[in-house]
Amino acid sequence: MTTLITGGSKCGKSRLAERILSGFAGRKIYIATMKPYGDEERKIIARHILQREGKGFETLECYTDIRDADVPEGAAVLLECVGNLLANEMFTEGGMTYPSEKIVSGLRELSRRTKMLVIVTNQVGSDGVRYEEGTAAYIAEIGKVNCGIAAFADNVIECVYGIPLPLKGELPC
Amino acid sequence: MIFITGGAAQGKRSFAENVLGVRAFTDGSSCTPEDVLIAECVTGYHELIARLMNEGIDPMSFTERFCRENRSAAVMMNEVGSGIVPIDRGEREWRENVGRCGCIIAERSETVIRMVCGVADVIKGERQW
Repeated sequence: MTTLITGGSKCGKSRLAERILSGFAGRKIYIATMKPYGDEERKIIARHILQREGKGFETLECYTDIRDADVPEGAAVLLECVGNLLANEMFTEGGMTYPSEKIVSGLRELSRRTKMLVIVTNQVGSDGVRYEEGTAAYIAEIGKVNCGIAAFADNVIECVYGIPLPLKGELPC
Repeated sequence: MIFITGGAAQGKRSFAENVLGVRAFTDGSSCTPEDVLIAECVTGYHELIARLMNEGIDPMSFTERFCRENRSAAVMMNEVGSGIVPIDRGEREWRENVGRCGCIIAERSETVIRMVCGVADVIKGERQW
């Protein structure tokens, strides 16, 4: 079963994702996609590690090529988050790429190997600001990725200030 | 407590006035923090959060106190977190604090309404009107 969780900033997406997997009896893998560039990322990572403490997750860092993530067969996976995975794939030293299809097919492949997959993404296209080319392309790509995941996911849940709103399927907890 | 959220200009105030029968509005962009604690209805709570931050008041602790001391209040706050992460650190922290305070208010509220195009979507609790 695959569940996509979306929503704005600090609206309780991670907490909900952890709750969905709290009853899972097998191995639980947390795929972290955020690269620790600086202090702010390190703080976010530290806060999330603290939040996950004692909840039985093994952490796997995977910044790109999600298809190849070394996840044991039949495990439950919490992937956080699509926004970072996309940025890592998209803005490379060699220039900008358009990796939405690669990411969607990689996640679909991952969903076949896992018993439960919970993917956390972000809503970034609703501030009405006209951005320069790179950011505008990022908004377009994350939109495509989100639509692509939602198409194969069993459940799509939007979080609004901590309240889960099922947009497709049902709330699996 | 009743929490009315949604994007900017989605009919939150009209809903409070016409459907909930709110008479007195306290404007979060100009009132004092003390006004909020006794308000019938606070508008623009997201703007209050920015002002609390400017004054060095922790918005989460203040929000906890507000929810404790003014349980019958109606609160209006925009959804502001569904855009690109702002480059400016202050903007970023404000947006995150709005998210966290929104989670606190939603948890303490019996009813949460999300306004879209003037339509009230009850996302927590029961319709009481």
